[in-house]
Amino acid sequence: MKSWNELEKSSFFDANARERAVGMCDKGTFTELLNPLDRFESPHLPVLGTAVEFDDGTVTGVGLVGKHPLFVVSMEGKFIGGAIGEVNGAKMVNTLRLALKAANDIKAAHPDEYDVRRPIVAISFETGGVRLHEANAGLLAHAEVMDAIQDCRRILPIVAVVGSKVGCFGGMGFVAAATDVIVMNEQGRIGLTGPEVIEQEMGKDEFDASNKALVYRTTGAKHKYIIQDCNYLVEDVIGDFHKTLAEIADIPMDKIEEMRRIGSLKLVQEQQDLVKLVGEMQPKDSMDLWKYYGNEDPAALPEMTTEEFLKVVKRRVRA
Amino acid sequence: MDEMENTMIGRGRDAIEMIVDAGSFEENKIGNAEVDAEYGPGAVVGTAKLEDQTVTVIANDAYAFNDRFPVVFGGVIGLEEAYKMATTVYRTMEADQDKPLAEKRPIVLIVDTPGNGPGKMEEIAGMNKATGSYQLALAEARKAGHPIVAMVIGRAISGAFLCHGLQADEILALSTDFGTMIHVMPITSISRITKMDIERLEELSKVNPVFAPGVNFFYNLGGVKEIVNKVEDMRSVIAKHVKEVQELKANGEIEKLGPWGRGLDGDARGGRVTRLKAMAKMNEEFAAVADKYINA
Repeated sequence: MKSWNELEKSSFFDANARERAVGMCDKGTFTELLNPLDRFESPHLPVLGTAVEFDDGTVTGVGLVGKHPLFVVSMEGKFIGGAIGEVNGAKMVNTLRLALKAANDIKAAHPDEYDVRRPIVAISFETGGVRLHEANAGLLAHAEVMDAIQDCRRILPIVAVVGSKVGCFGGMGFVAAATDVIVMNEQGRIGLTGPEVIEQEMGKDEFDASNKALVYRTTGAKHKYIIQDCNYLVEDVIGDFHKTLAEIADIPMDKIEEMRRIGSLKLVQEQQDLVKLVGEMQPKDSMDLWKYYGNEDPAALPEMTTEEFLKVVKRRVRA
Repeated sequence: MDEMENTMIGRGRDAIEMIVDAGSFEENKIGNAEVDAEYGPGAVVGTAKLEDQTVTVIANDAYAFNDRFPVVFGGVIGLEEAYKMATTVYRTMEADQDKPLAEKRPIVLIVDTPGNGPGKMEEIAGMNKATGSYQLALAEARKAGHPIVAMVIGRAISGAFLCHGLQADEILALSTDFGTMIHVMPITSISRITKMDIERLEELSKVNPVFAPGVNFFYNLGGVKEIVNKVEDMRSVIAKHVKEVQELKANGEIEKLGPWGRGLDGDARGGRVTRLKAMAKMNEEFAAVADKYINA
């Protein structure tokens, strides 16, 4: 594996789950929990004749950003598309539970320093959701993750980090939406229904899944940034993700709560305004919305570098 | 039993009448709040009495269409439906905000949905947020003390079940005699996507609870608390579970409920036994290094 110094300058998109986990934390601080030597692999794959991974395709552990413990979940898309089963689902749930317990321990040990020592969770999503080989267990694990996210509300920030090949789809699309803060690179994609399924449901005329530009315009980071579903759009460099997490770790919890998209009646009402607009506009393409929000030449936006895009883009104004 | 004759699939509105006190259902009213009757027609929400106790009811309407969002039919939960359901939960919490924990009104979810809205407009607006918001609302209400019981009467499929059902305190399901379906995907789709041999999968699906569709398999995994064998029993069994949930909450035993409680049931029933072992090992490993992170 690359050294931490090399990782900081490397592409996030090209990095594997373990490299992302190590690189998101301060130098030399990451401890993997349930590492491959523990051999907690899926008990359900062998009967189906599918090969296992000793970490079940998800890296979990803890590092630091400053004095903040950074609890990490990092999914590996190369192993069954990063999909969630019993074991890697349990690793994800327990990482959130450990972060919450650490928050309580820190409050007890350092009552006057909670803000500077407050834990933070980063979930590097690379997944299509439920692992079909163990679909029922995977589905139940998703519900546990949502439950654990709600438990952490207003106590510590949970950050969705999305910028890997598979994107973040299916039930994990809900989970990303339910986090406090979303950080993406330009290549990141978040959605519920994957492009192939939309094509299957609606026909190729309506949605051509092989049209990569269309797929990116619909679920990609630039669209998410415009409609305020992405809080930070960063360069595709691991070090930039690391810096952004360190910045978020210091933001007061009431400000973190304001970065959310869903999770209260007020936020539901704000989203309903967006749904109303979409229902009336019946957009054929995300670009119709981009134009509505004041981007005169929406077709130019996908071509821009992240830096150029951030300089000129107009976003939905939040209520 | 002839399942076509007895099935409750598509009969969400009938189920409400069969479950709540006769004539007590008031659609679109929750506390002092009124929900727009035209909005999210695929979701039926309102207030009723169950054995004289005020309850919020949330169900699916398989015969409703949504003109603004054509993917909504047959009980699909679309953008409007999910936000309507979430709003109903927040309005329920609002209605009881000054009441003590023991008096928080129950929420009864009547589940018969084949999926979330799978369209382009849905993705442009962010369908993941809509269903995510409903899940967070239910989790918040559950933790605030509202007993939430889900009754699967027909289809409880994948992401739609995740939002409408899997955040409940306890989940009940009509037996397979009624054609009840709980799954992520049918075997044919699993085979196509995983490229695994369909005959082998069908053989395994008879005995393997972890991937194959079925109410009984979900029971083994802890995903269903109790299977209901007669439609006329739905009412009394739901009322019994509401009471059980109220007692557990009054005793502070919330870890026996909700998604975490289903994990414990899955362990006890032998369907998901690696999960807790993995967590215990992680906890042990963290404890060994905790000082470095807690006192950084």
